Amino acid sequence: MRAAVFLALKDLRLLLRDRAAAFFTFVFPLAIALFFGYVFSGTTSEPLHVAAFVEQPSPAAAMLIKALDEDGGFKLTVTDARAAGEQLVRSGGAVALLIVPATYAEGIDGVFSGGGAKLGLVVDPSRRAEGAMLVGKIHEVAFRTVFAAVGDPVQFARVLDRMEESLKASDFSFTDRLAIRTALSRARAMSAQGADGSAATQPQSLADWKPVSVEIAELSMRPGVPANSFAISFMQGIAWALFGAVLSFGSGIAEERQRGTLVRLLVSPMSPNQILFGKALACFVTCLATEWMLVFFGMFLFRVEVSHWPLMVVVTLVTAFGFSGIMMLLAAGFRTQGGAQGAGRAVLLVLAMIGGGTVPIVFMPPFLRVASNLSPFKWAVMAAEGATWRSWGMSEMLLPLAVLTAIGVFGLTVGTALVRRSI
Amino acid sequence: MIRVRDIRKSFGSIAAVDGVTFDVHHGEIFGLLGPNGAGKSTAIAMCTGQSAPDSGSIEIGEAGSPRAARARALIGLAPQQIALYEELTARENLVFLARVHGVPEPVRRADELLDMVGLLPRARDRVATFSGGMQRRLNLAAALVHNPTAIFLDEPTAGVDPQSRTAILDVVQRLATEGRAVIYTTHYMEEAQRICSRVAVMDRGRVLAIGTVAELIAAHGGESVVTVDSLAGEHRVRTREPLREIERALAEGGVTAVRIEQPDLEMVFLALTGRRLRD
Repeated sequence: MRAAVFLALKDLRLLLRDRAAAFFTFVFPLAIALFFGYVFSGTTSEPLHVAAFVEQPSPAAAMLIKALDEDGGFKLTVTDARAAGEQLVRSGGAVALLIVPATYAEGIDGVFSGGGAKLGLVVDPSRRAEGAMLVGKIHEVAFRTVFAAVGDPVQFARVLDRMEESLKASDFSFTDRLAIRTALSRARAMSAQGADGSAATQPQSLADWKPVSVEIAELSMRPGVPANSFAISFMQGIAWALFGAVLSFGSGIAEERQRGTLVRLLVSPMSPNQILFGKALACFVTCLATEWMLVFFGMFLFRVEVSHWPLMVVVTLVTAFGFSGIMMLLAAGFRTQGGAQGAGRAVLLVLAMIGGGTVPIVFMPPFLRVASNLSPFKWAVMAAEGATWRSWGMSEMLLPLAVLTAIGVFGLTVGTALVRRSI
Repeated sequence: MIRVRDIRKSFGSIAAVDGVTFDVHHGEIFGLLGPNGAGKSTAIAMCTGQSAPDSGSIEIGEAGSPRAARARALIGLAPQQIALYEELTARENLVFLARVHGVPEPVRRADELLDMVGLLPRARDRVATFSGGMQRRLNLAAALVHNPTAIFLDEPTAGVDPQSRTAILDVVQRLATEGRAVIYTTHYMEEAQRICSRVAVMDRGRVLAIGTVAELIAAHGGESVVTVDSLAGEHRVRTREPLREIERALAEGGVTAVRIEQPDLEMVFLALTGRRLRD
């Protein structure tokens, strides 16, 4: 047993010394996870995709939506219901949901009389940076729309009416009231004169004034829905991590044979079964290490949440076991390193792709979704998703775990028997 | 120490080893000589437990069959192909093998062996950076990590520089003086003549002759050629007793020079098989 552990440690050391193998085992899956995470999140140089929901239509709200839509910095999708907008954010289709509350128009009317308009912004928690950028843009657009609104004589008249009402209710002295009324009358006259378009200029002294406040809230991610695109892509990354590990160790026996070291191992006190156990152990440990590397990267950097820790532990163990079996089958099939790597790459690549390694299974056409059942990668990704954003319980997890266990038992039994015959 | 009795191994219709029998004792270097395809490597594979003979028996000391784990602990093998992990350092290779064999203090043992084969200064270098001769020396050291008593060296000097060859032969002789049984296969007759206590000549899976180098030469090498230069001119004589021929020439007087061309293992092989060893 100790000898098999030393053999596994030696194989892990060799893996780390082989830059290409180490890259494809540890870095490539991470790169794939990040790539697809960003692709699906729409984080590009293109306009920010924002959902918008208007609680109560009004000219002011319409003006704001129109301004946001025409700004060029946004790609706006107006939804009929708040839930629809939130779903768009959850699915990664939008960075945030802008909520224009029913009180928005009233707030705009009272913008110079102690009131002010409020907007709500529900942000994808994993995309806070983009959310912050979005707040700045919304302020900018809202500022323009407010001044555009007061440039409209009718709208401005309403604003002045509100100010006069406030004046009546105030406890200013008679002379003060007179002075303010005079000013308001002049403003009314100026607004009427400026109806030709010359009056609506932005006062410089108000440059820092924010007529609209934006209340930010983070969207709570419901169980069964991925918190963000990385919750999907990091589970996809696990498929590529397993791909790398199986490919690296599947050619290990052939490599030992070709370099002559298999003879040394066979002459040592280790039995052939111990040698094969050592090989499988190295693959198992690598699968586990890469799976957890992706889980932790996802957790700490991209807010991927593990919904059930004990199940996650079971999933990673069972997945590593299943793919160690696949490694043994690959090792059994080929006598040369080139043969094992070439054929392994071809077969595993197809299986990884139809198993959701590139396009998530939910986005696949129905026939491909059925075909994906043949891929062990599908069950590994599904189990990992079950322990993260799908929030599965043990009963739902049974099928993928049973499939992976069966693959492991079959691969290790048949593969070991075949390898033993060949050595 | 190593007892081989009438072992046979066929691959299809080809008899790779056909009824080979020999013994190797403690402290003995036993040479297995023969051309490519003679059956040497197949015989070694059976003696080291890599494959089982179709018939016959092999025993390693008291431990019995080399396929038993107890016997394999006594066996050290330096395969013909350099069998090392090139991405690991020299020390890492030896430490790994020592651990697999359960050697206590594997690092100390690795350094001892590196020192023995003159590679201690390169202990931390990866094997991939070594010359062919250095790799051969490390290949030999790797066979010795667990202090085996039955050592099989399959052409350990193939393709090495003279310096490494000398170092390897010195180590092999030292192993024998320590009481280990060494089986040594080679193409190089001069090596066998230099270090082997006894030699078996193999061809087409069979042992054609077995004995000490002197015995084989005496039995199969033919006559020596004695050339005597004298005042009367050059005189060449073929004889099995060259010293007696020289004595006779000296007694006649006028001898200015004497040369003896003795038969060697190459001639033994030629006589036994009708072909040269490296044909």
